[in-house]
This record gives sequence, structure tokens and C-alpha cells, in this order.
Amino acid sequence: MHARVLVMLALRNLRRHLRRTVLTAAAMIAGAVVMVFSFTLDDGSHEQWVDSGVRMGSGHVTVERPEYRVSRRIDDRLADDVRRAAEQALHSPELAPHVTALSARLGITGLASSAAGSRPAQIVAVDPAAEADFGTIDDQVAEGRYLEADDGLAACVGAGLAESLDLELGSRFVVQAQDAEREIAGQLLRVVGIFRSGLPAIDQMLIHVPLATAGEWLGSATDVTNVGVVLADSDATALVVDRLERALAEPVARGEVRVMGWEESDPTLATAIAVDALGNYIIQGFLLVIIAFGIVNTVLMSVMHRHREFGVLRALGLSPGQTGTIVLIEGLALAAASGLVGVGLGILIMWYFLGDGLDMATFMEGAEDLTFGGVQVDPVIVPIFGALRMVQITAFIVGVGCLSAVYPALRAMRIDVTEAMKFDR
Amino acid sequence: MAANDSAAVRTEGVWKTFHQEAEEVHAVRDVSLTVERGEFTALAGPSGSGKTTLLNLIGGLTRPSQGRVWVAGREVSEMSNQELARLRLEEVGFVFQAYNLLPVLTALENAEFPMLLQGVDPAERHARVGELFERTGMSGLEDRRPGKLSGGQQQRVAVVRAVASRPALVLADEPTANLDSTASEALLDVMGELNRDLGVTFVFATHDSRVMERSRRLVRMVDGAVAADERRA
Repeated sequence: MHARVLVMLALRNLRRHLRRTVLTAAAMIAGAVVMVFSFTLDDGSHEQWVDSGVRMGSGHVTVERPEYRVSRRIDDRLADDVRRAAEQALHSPELAPHVTALSARLGITGLASSAAGSRPAQIVAVDPAAEADFGTIDDQVAEGRYLEADDGLAACVGAGLAESLDLELGSRFVVQAQDAEREIAGQLLRVVGIFRSGLPAIDQMLIHVPLATAGEWLGSATDVTNVGVVLADSDATALVVDRLERALAEPVARGEVRVMGWEESDPTLATAIAVDALGNYIIQGFLLVIIAFGIVNTVLMSVMHRHREFGVLRALGLSPGQTGTIVLIEGLALAAASGLVGVGLGILIMWYFLGDGLDMATFMEGAEDLTFGGVQVDPVIVPIFGALRMVQITAFIVGVGCLSAVYPALRAMRIDVTEAMKFDR
Repeated sequence: MAANDSAAVRTEGVWKTFHQEAEEVHAVRDVSLTVERGEFTALAGPSGSGKTTLLNLIGGLTRPSQGRVWVAGREVSEMSNQELARLRLEEVGFVFQAYNLLPVLTALENAEFPMLLQGVDPAERHARVGELFERTGMSGLEDRRPGKLSGGQQQRVAVVRAVASRPALVLADEPTANLDSTASEALLDVMGELNRDLGVTFVFATHDSRVMERSRRLVRMVDGAVAADERRA
């Protein structure tokens, strides 16, 4: 019975000082809207960075031999049965819905030479059709075209490397690398496309060649060094890694294969995102502290204003804890309502105005060429409205509202009843 | 010494001392007093004589510096804050000079408030308050907020609030001080009736001669001590 009475008193007190209540709520609602704005764009940009990073790299999940990440040697190819088991698991009913693209690649280091000289190169042999779904190189071709299924001695070359070797469309050049027999083997290739990724490290090193061409050149047939997987949602990474590890339990136990999520295969990007997220949390933390001061001030004023009322309540039989509880309920009710309204309003505003994305190029010159954490940043940030994130923002606002009411509640609890009754007499 | 359970209030050698800077001020000095159930007692005296402090000590709003206080046979002096709150809820009704109704509640809700906290059944609450509102001429004003009631009406609601939960005693601190003479007389009539008809024990702190005239026991206080204790027929 007491709880109902306390809730009734708290709610009526909020309604009694409607203007003060609305002003306090407005501050919290504004805070929630700002948090929705900030977190949805932050989550959107992180997802974009991850997507860009994994498509440029080895996917959200990669299956490869443990030594391969460091060695980049043809010796560290995946065993055929391991590759088949991995691909079978990825096509299973449980994992298939998460998988948007899959590319089996043979990636090695080698030397590219032309009449202009020689340069170290990262040679990646791919199935052109699968790679077009998986990566972004096909979208970044500046001259010519990307590889096609029936290409033979063709190569798509980074713009930086093409410039160094003085290569143009149709130019011929030679690549050399260690083959499957551990001999140095060379292959003549013709440039069919030149791509510009925006990342100098990629543009100056990377060459894409057809997997079939590499198989003949290096004597590796259809062998690959890794199977990369792009997922519909990066949040599914841990699940897919876990299921693949189970499917490949024996070779994993024997140390013949390793399944890695993007955070493990691309620690630079993972760290960059973690640092950015931390920065955002700190900024939001400051915002919450400012809001909290506003709430403390308002609720405290309200407590001081009702000094005598709290004295009366105590005289009528409420304990100090119960009078404090009234103030806490006021804070909780105000914060919960404001948090829900603020998050709802924030989602509506974001959806209506920025649902198609916020184009940073409008505000920032050179945003098109921006890179972060080793990936190229898309200047258009599309907000992501994750349910968990919305709950988190509501919880932040509610938490701040409740914490802000603690000190005023303690003041209400510590009221000297006899002094309070004299108050304003 | 055991408490006299038949008494509404008993104090034994009660002192209340305040410290103002380096000085000790004795607001109540060695007061030993027994108020039997059903009494209509006035504590009279000039301002600063200690009557309000004594009332606060009896109601458990403040603790004695020395001595013991019993209310309805329960010793107040050693109670925890929680126990004191419970005692006030169950055994003591308060009527204050400034009415002190809760502004967010209607007249009816104010009057029912202690019973609401006690968990009294709604039908029982309505019946008790309805009868008391009838007696006090407040019928028809149940839904008004305190701001829409006159001072006299507010004080009558405060009296109903104090009485409706059937406490062992009602402590009234200068209940007529803010009322005009007509409203004061009407209020005293109501409290007299409640005392006579329902046996409600009233202890007033007052310097209003009308209250003193109507009380059947007059305890005069001077400088915190009981100077005289007169009983009338």
C-alpha cells in the first residue's frame, strides 16, 4: 500500500509543477535525441569501416593456415578437404543466411617487373565472379575493367604500382614468385584494368589475377591460401567463427587451420574503432554530466520548496526512507518518460532527415579521400538503429535521472521534522 | 518503571536542551505529566515557554535530551526513526497551526491519507471520513484541493485527518492561531464534540484564551517547566 501511495504522491508532485517538470524533461529529451544522433551515426560509420576493411582485406571471417598470416607463402595453402569442409559449413542452413559473399583466394608475395623496373607485389589470385561480390576492387577500377571469368593472362593492377612500372592498359609485365615446387616461377600478364582504392599501401602493391592462371603458373591447381567470408551483419562474426571452428574441429586441434574474425585478422581497424567508440562515450558522458547537473538543480530546488511538506509527511507517519523514495520515484518517472520520448523522437528525426545517410562531403572538403584505421571512409554515413543501442541510450538517461535524484532524496530524508514544520510559517 | 497503559501520554523527568553556540538552552525542563485517554488538555504559556517542544517530544518528532516518554503505553524515547514513524502513523494525529494539508491531494484524500498508509480498506476509509466530514460541515467539499478551501475549512480537514485513523491522541499545535474568531469557535466546537462523542484525546499547545476556556485540564508552562496543572469539571 505504501508503495502505491508514494508513487501517487511523486507523480502528482511532477504534475503540480508542470512547467518545471516539462523544462527538466526537455533537457533530458534533448540529451536523448543528441545521443541517438551521435550513437546511430557512430554505429553506422563503424559498420561502414568494418565493411570497407573486411572487403578490402580478408572478410569478416577468414579460414587459413595459422602460419599464413605472417608468411604469405604458397606453402601455407589450405588442404583441399579443409577448404571443402569450411565451404560446406558456410552453406549450411544455420550459417548461409549470415553469409553475403565468399571468396577463396590464393594470396602470395612476389615481384612485378616491366621495362621500367621491378617492384614487390602482393599477388592475389581470385575467382573473378566471387571476388566481384566479395571485394571492392571491381568498383574501384579507374581504367579498363575488372577481371572476368574467361580471362587468361590478365591482371588488374593498383594505380600506384602501374605508375611505378609505367604500365598502361594492355601493357605486358612479368610476375615472379615461389611456386608449389619451391622454385621461382615467372608469368607474363597483360594489364586489363587499373584500380584506385584510395589507400596508397594497396594501390602500390596489389595485383589481382585469375585463380586458374595462378594455378597453372604456380602449379597449385585450384588450391587457395584462405577462404574469406563477408557477412550481412558484423555482429554475427563471433557466431560464424564459433560454428566454423566446430565444423573444422579436428584440423583446428591439429594446428592445420585457424578461423579468425575481422577483429583478429585486422587488429588495426578493431583498435581504431574501439578508440573512436571510447571517444564518443566520453563525449556522451560529458553531455550526461551536464544534464545531470541540470536535473540535480531542479529536483533539489523542488525538495527545498517542499521542505514543510516533507515534514508533514514525516509527522503523518512516513519514515525518512519513504520520503526519500518519493524523490527517487519522481526522478525515475521523469527520466523514464523523458528517455523513452527522447529516444523515440531521436529515431523519428534521424529517420526522417538522415535515413538515407549524412553526407560528410557537404561539411568537409576532401571527405571523399578520407582514410581511418587503414580503410577508406565512405563520406556518406548511414545511421544504424540497433534495438540494443536504443535500450542502452534509454538506460543511460534513466540512470542519470535516478542518480541525479539521489542527493535531493538524501536531503529529503535528512529533514529535521520540527524545523521543517516551522519553515515558512 | 513500567508505563501506565491506560494513559494516552506519560512523560517522566523530560528535558530538551538545545545548544546555541556555546550556550545551552533548556526548552523543556524536567516535565513529568500524564494525560489520560479521553482528556481535553491545553498546554498554555507564552511564546518560548516550551509547549510546542513538549508536543513534539510527545509526538516523537524530536527526542528528549533526558527523561522518558510513553505514548499509549509504548516508550518513545528509545525508538528508531522507523519505529517512531510507525508510532506516529498508528497512535498520533497532528493538527498544525498552518493546516499543512498536502497540496497535491483533495480534501477527501488528505483526510484519508493516514488510513491510506495504514492500509485501511477503501470502503471503511470513505465511511469514516464521510461521517466526520458530515460532523464538521465539510460534506460537498471532498474533491476540493486545499488551495480552494478557506483557512477554517482546511483546518477542519486537518482535524478529520488527525482523528479519522483513530489514534490514541491528537496533538494540536496552535490550531486556532490562523483562524478568525468565528472559524476558531466552530473548530473548537468540532473538536469538543469529537472528544465528547468519540472519546478522542486532545492535547493542545495554545495561548488562545478560547481554547483554554474550553479545555478540561489546563497545564501552564513557564520557561520550559510545568508551572501549574489545573483540572476542571
